[in-house]
Amino acid sequence: MRTGAAAGHQGYYHEAVCYGSEEELLAVTVPFLLDGVAAGEPTIVAFGERHAALVRSALPAGAEVDFLSGGDLYARPTAAIRSYRALLAAHLARGVGQIRIIGELAPSMLGVTWDWWARYESAINHAYDDFPLWSMCAYDTRVAPPEVLAEVARTHPRYATADRRHVPSEHYTEPAVYLAENRLPVPDPLQLTPPAVELTDPTAAEARRAVYAADGGRLPLDQVEDLVVAVSETVTNALRYGRPAVRLRVWSGDDRIVVSITDRGEGPSDPFAGLLPARHGGPGGLGLWITHQSCNHVAQYRDVDGFTIRLTAGDPLYRTDAATPDPALTASPATA
Amino acid sequence: MRDVITEQRSAVSRGHVCWSYDDSAVFDDAARRFLSAGLAAGEQGWYVGPDPAEVARERLAGLPGLDAALRRGDLRIVAPWSAYPPDGLVDPVGQVHAYATATEAALAAGHTGLRVVAECSGLAGTPAQRDRFARYEHRVDRLMRARPFSAMCAYDRTRLGDPAVAELACLHRHTNAPGLLFRLAACGPGTDCAELAGELDPSNHELFAAALERAELRPVDGELRLCGPRLRYIDHRCLTHLARYAARRGAVAVLRASLPTASRLVEMLALTGVRVEAAR
Repeated sequence: MRTGAAAGHQGYYHEAVCYGSEEELLAVTVPFLLDGVAAGEPTIVAFGERHAALVRSALPAGAEVDFLSGGDLYARPTAAIRSYRALLAAHLARGVGQIRIIGELAPSMLGVTWDWWARYESAINHAYDDFPLWSMCAYDTRVAPPEVLAEVARTHPRYATADRRHVPSEHYTEPAVYLAENRLPVPDPLQLTPPAVELTDPTAAEARRAVYAADGGRLPLDQVEDLVVAVSETVTNALRYGRPAVRLRVWSGDDRIVVSITDRGEGPSDPFAGLLPARHGGPGGLGLWITHQSCNHVAQYRDVDGFTIRLTAGDPLYRTDAATPDPALTASPATA
Repeated sequence: MRDVITEQRSAVSRGHVCWSYDDSAVFDDAARRFLSAGLAAGEQGWYVGPDPAEVARERLAGLPGLDAALRRGDLRIVAPWSAYPPDGLVDPVGQVHAYATATEAALAAGHTGLRVVAECSGLAGTPAQRDRFARYEHRVDRLMRARPFSAMCAYDRTRLGDPAVAELACLHRHTNAPGLLFRLAACGPGTDCAELAGELDPSNHELFAAALERAELRPVDGELRLCGPRLRYIDHRCLTHLARYAARRGAVAVLRASLPTASRLVEMLALTGVRVEAAR
């Protein structure tokens, strides 16, 4: 049996907490957790270090609340979904009536890589809907930019407030609609410089070699090899399911490698592609799902060139003033 | 491609070599060098091909000491029907036994081993022939790891086509087959382990699945062991093939390779039928 605001709800009860102070955060979090503990429900906090300590200090001693490392869980959206689904399935197998989780993204994730976390926030409405989960996603309105808060409104069906209300989000958009929208990423300044490698219709093997060639030993080997897996899968999908010509471009910076793979097609029709394994074994879906777990950022978008997947290994949190653009390349539609 | 060509040179000296060709003169040169190296090492040489003996002798012309080697019986020109079944459907077990016997006979005659060049295109022309011959290729690879027996198996690409040649070439330790990215070979003598080398990816995962079937690997203590010191890449499709193949044999596939990405894929896909162990 479910308790609290989610009582009687089927599936996932997903809320955002948009707070303006630590007092407000605690005013939502502490009763949410204590009510869960009182009901005997698995009650979990996935906050960063500072807020985890804050919540711990506000809870009575011995409260049976699990604290997960938010940093590890929220490294990559698709991996987070996979981990959470495994966690939820384990609890469900024990016959629990409800699972409560409150989590937060690190402030750095609300910047140039926010786009894939926005997709995560939307996708989980579907991905967790086969579990009796009540979760809250905390956003600090003093830190999150307005455009992030606008996406939070579109990806969360409701808000939890400090005065213990649960308010529907009037901008909530169904995941299938939200995820099908074209979402141009923040251009990486590296893409405004000439690529280290550019290939047309490469085989997967040629694409893998291009990544190794571009690396130059600057990134840790495991990150380069994960990127190689992602590039191999993405090129394979583009060749198999996209429309020719397939263009591979690789840029190498001091702290990251950026790869874009563009074909003339429309991209996958499954809005959850990359975030969840392909439904019904759909084309290319497993490769894209692996790709999303093998890079530190994945952007996918459509523009005049066709469909592009951009992959980043290394540090994806680039400063937008970090590279000197080549004026001849700034007009490229793919980087606009 | 570069490493395949490099191997091609060194492979000419010994071992199990697949030589694919579209120019018979180039094959003849490779055959002469392969046999010549064996004769120089005291091995008995066999040249098995579809041509009449006198034509075969012409093709070997230029091999140092050819006539003397033929006179002494150090080198033999063997008709295919005396080395292989006349109907062209090879019995993998019987054929390996025949070469094992021939190897022991060569040793008994004072040679250091047996070395064969065989033009096998006629034995692998149809899918049924090819399936039999591919199974034989892996079994004979095991014999070569255990006994002083070497062979160059030659296939005419213009007759068989590249895909058919690839089915056979991938079961050799060394090959010059163009574009072939991986090989599945026997490991050291006295072991049921198999060795994977090269790259296994979407372009060849079906070929890999077929190669596994034909290798007929045997589990030991519930484990199907493969090592990959020269395996550079394996994707999720091939890991899945490996897991399913092992499961059908009631075993877990254990792949020893320095490929952290393979371990991560196994974990990601929750593939219980395969385990990746870091190679020492």
